[in-house]
Amino acid sequence: MLITGLGVISAAGINLAETLVSFEGRKRNAGPVSLFETPLRYPVFEVREIPRRFYLEGQRTLSLALCAVDEALEGAHLKDELSNFRVGVCMGTTVASQLNDIEFYKSYRTTGTASMVAVDRYVKGNLAQFVSRKIRATGPSLTVVNACSSGTDAIGVAFSWLNNGLCDIAIAGGADELNRIPLCGFGSLGIVSSDLCKPFDRGRKGLNLGEGAGVLVIETKDSAQKRRRTSDFYLVGYGSASDAYHLTAPRPDGAGLESSINKALTESGIKPHEVSFVNAHGTGTLENDLVEGMVLGKVFGADLKVLSTKGFTGHALGAAGGLEAVFTVAGLREGWIPVSIGFEHKDETIPVVPVRKRTYINGHHAVSTSLAFGGNNAALVFRRDLR
Amino acid sequence: MQKSKSEELIKIKRDLKERLVRELSLEDIKPIDIKDDEILFGEGLGLDSLDAVEIVVLLQRNYSLEVKDIEKGREIFYSIDTLANYIYENTKSNTPGP
Amino acid sequence: MMNVLGIGILFTRGSGVACFEKALNDGWQEPAGEADANLKDKISPAYQVVLETVTGRALLKKMRRSDKLSKMAVLAASDALRSSAIENMNKKRLGIIVATAFGPQVTTFKFLDEILDYGEANVSPIIFSNSVHNAPAAYVSSALDIQGPTLTVTQFYFSFQYALQLAQAWINEGRCDYILVGAVDQYGDVLKYVHDCKLTPAPDNRIRPFNFNPTYHVPGEGAVFILVGKGNSKNAFCKVENVWIGEHPECKAPADIDIIDTDGMLADESAYFSSISPDIPVAAYSPLFGSMMVGSAFNCAAGVLMLKNQVCYANPVRDNPHGIKLLNNAGSINIELVRCIRYNCQGEKAAIYLKKK
Repeated sequence: MLITGLGVISAAGINLAETLVSFEGRKRNAGPVSLFETPLRYPVFEVREIPRRFYLEGQRTLSLALCAVDEALEGAHLKDELSNFRVGVCMGTTVASQLNDIEFYKSYRTTGTASMVAVDRYVKGNLAQFVSRKIRATGPSLTVVNACSSGTDAIGVAFSWLNNGLCDIAIAGGADELNRIPLCGFGSLGIVSSDLCKPFDRGRKGLNLGEGAGVLVIETKDSAQKRRRTSDFYLVGYGSASDAYHLTAPRPDGAGLESSINKALTESGIKPHEVSFVNAHGTGTLENDLVEGMVLGKVFGADLKVLSTKGFTGHALGAAGGLEAVFTVAGLREGWIPVSIGFEHKDETIPVVPVRKRTYINGHHAVSTSLAFGGNNAALVFRRDLR
Repeated sequence: MQKSKSEELIKIKRDLKERLVRELSLEDIKPIDIKDDEILFGEGLGLDSLDAVEIVVLLQRNYSLEVKDIEKGREIFYSIDTLANYIYENTKSNTPGP
Repeated sequence: MMNVLGIGILFTRGSGVACFEKALNDGWQEPAGEADANLKDKISPAYQVVLETVTGRALLKKMRRSDKLSKMAVLAASDALRSSAIENMNKKRLGIIVATAFGPQVTTFKFLDEILDYGEANVSPIIFSNSVHNAPAAYVSSALDIQGPTLTVTQFYFSFQYALQLAQAWINEGRCDYILVGAVDQYGDVLKYVHDCKLTPAPDNRIRPFNFNPTYHVPGEGAVFILVGKGNSKNAFCKVENVWIGEHPECKAPADIDIIDTDGMLADESAYFSSISPDIPVAAYSPLFGSMMVGSAFNCAAGVLMLKNQVCYANPVRDNPHGIKLLNNAGSINIELVRCIRYNCQGEKAAIYLKKK
């Protein structure tokens, strides 16, 4: 399927151009939490400022999503043509799926009553449905809540919709805001670092949370032809498999991740050596990076060009897969990938070594991987046709 | 009169067993069935990594004790005995009397 | 098209197809009114699941730390697999799609209790882990050793329909041979409070599905999983012919029976009128299992059993102020096509077409 639009917003930038500047300049825009009061002192990657025209009071995840969707639609030249096509919206998230407003709950548990404002926002705020209504899309809309692989899986769902004729065009990706619940929760699991994260580094101590949104516009060839649009970029494969192992720890042998990568490669019709780079999940936790690094080394070989962009964006949970899909396509488009920031010292137990500097890319294919809390693994394969 | 060390340890172990059964949802196990020297992780009680971090929070909340070093944590969490001794050695009520 | 090869159901009266069939035959029952831990001692009529009375709990030993939502999902999913009697299934080719409207909201509020009572640095990691939306799907995967793709989706009104539609897509693409498509939601005191603010509780504890306006709800909870796949048609319960969502359904032939999802979760259910025909008997089984955003799955299960057994089940509540043609006689019947209809608050429609195998 053709990829005709890209949109991102994260701590690295409010759009793709700004993000690429941060990548080139090795800028890590982390800091203490400023979005809400908390005694927790972990560094986080907050979006500097959501452009006003997208900002919705009390609905940060939706605001982030609208910003990225707008950029993607602009890039696809789709804004004025939406009503002529069946446009599906599939978005991944974690935070926006929950009724977790702490002031609402505090009032309820203290007095037995609470204002319905937070509830109304929640009920009207199903991420995909909200985006779909906002842009007046008439195709399917579905929100995927698969923890850290939500964005990747949402793109996979959109791929299935397109393959099955359920829509002509799909807007797919993920969005998540920085929120107190996952900050406390991941902190309690002992996997959040008090320093800037170091994906795959031997001194890594955990992840940093981030926020943002990453969105692709994907469409059938027919649809692009009707719209007289072309693209050199394609989504060619998706694979997903479950560890069936543990709620919070990845399967030590990485069988689920290996299976999902192989499925995606098989669907793309390519072999591992044809992959020019992998944008890894690379959270900076001891376990994720070990398992993922081991699997990537096994499937692609130790010479693989691999990076984690979470050193620039933090782990944006439901948005991560969407952000990283955009970064992967951008890598193919620009012909370079940024340094895997935060990595300095090789971990001898991990066979792959992330790129230590901005690196030129020559190939047609790239892969993005995601490993989720709860054990799901997902991989996407993208292709660039070089003219 | 201050309690003796052994009395204090007995109390700590009893509390620990009750908390573990409750907080870790150890169904079909009664606190009194857990032996003091029973290995908590792997063999024995069969606790795992998620239980380990829950015990870290349990220590923080109930005994104001932090366990930051994973390697040290492995030693402390070995059995009820080691856990109780750690609590006893590191809690304020056990400052030596005059 | 795909075959329904197994069903697992967990609801207020127990678990399993036989239990659900008995409820369909026995008709309406008063919802329980005892105090429940989740309701913080408030007595409130609701069709709640009492897990302690559910048999086959050996499976739950593998998931001691999980919450009620995940336990319900695992029990129903396991039942669906067992009822299919498919031997030597390759579980790497078995997928899971879980639909939920509110997810683990009860556990989410327990996590908020942790923050408020103990502070942000002293919260329980176990409670947090169970509060993530995909926890039920993760437990189904690990408890049943299912290694295919595992997905959780949420969409309030049409979660189950979208899940079923996606399952069909995955089968067409060859991503899976079989898929456990499930729906699960849990009742709790906060949700009760929200429902009571937004909707009207049934004054006599009876959902009246054919009132349309005003509507009355009695909360429910539970889980339904259906196992779908392309093969094994000999043992199939029935077929899922098609799933249409949000667009005017195209149907070659009218259904023999229409099952509607009226249950008081919409303040005004008048939209259903536009789908009701004077010639097609209408059924609604929500008075048996309660008002739920994922109630479609339970009604769908009733439709599957009708087609499999070639029987129809009388409506449990027959109040009919608008004089529509109701399915009121139970017994043997020749039916080919059952249509399960749901509307959302925007008046958009979804329909699941079930066909005799």
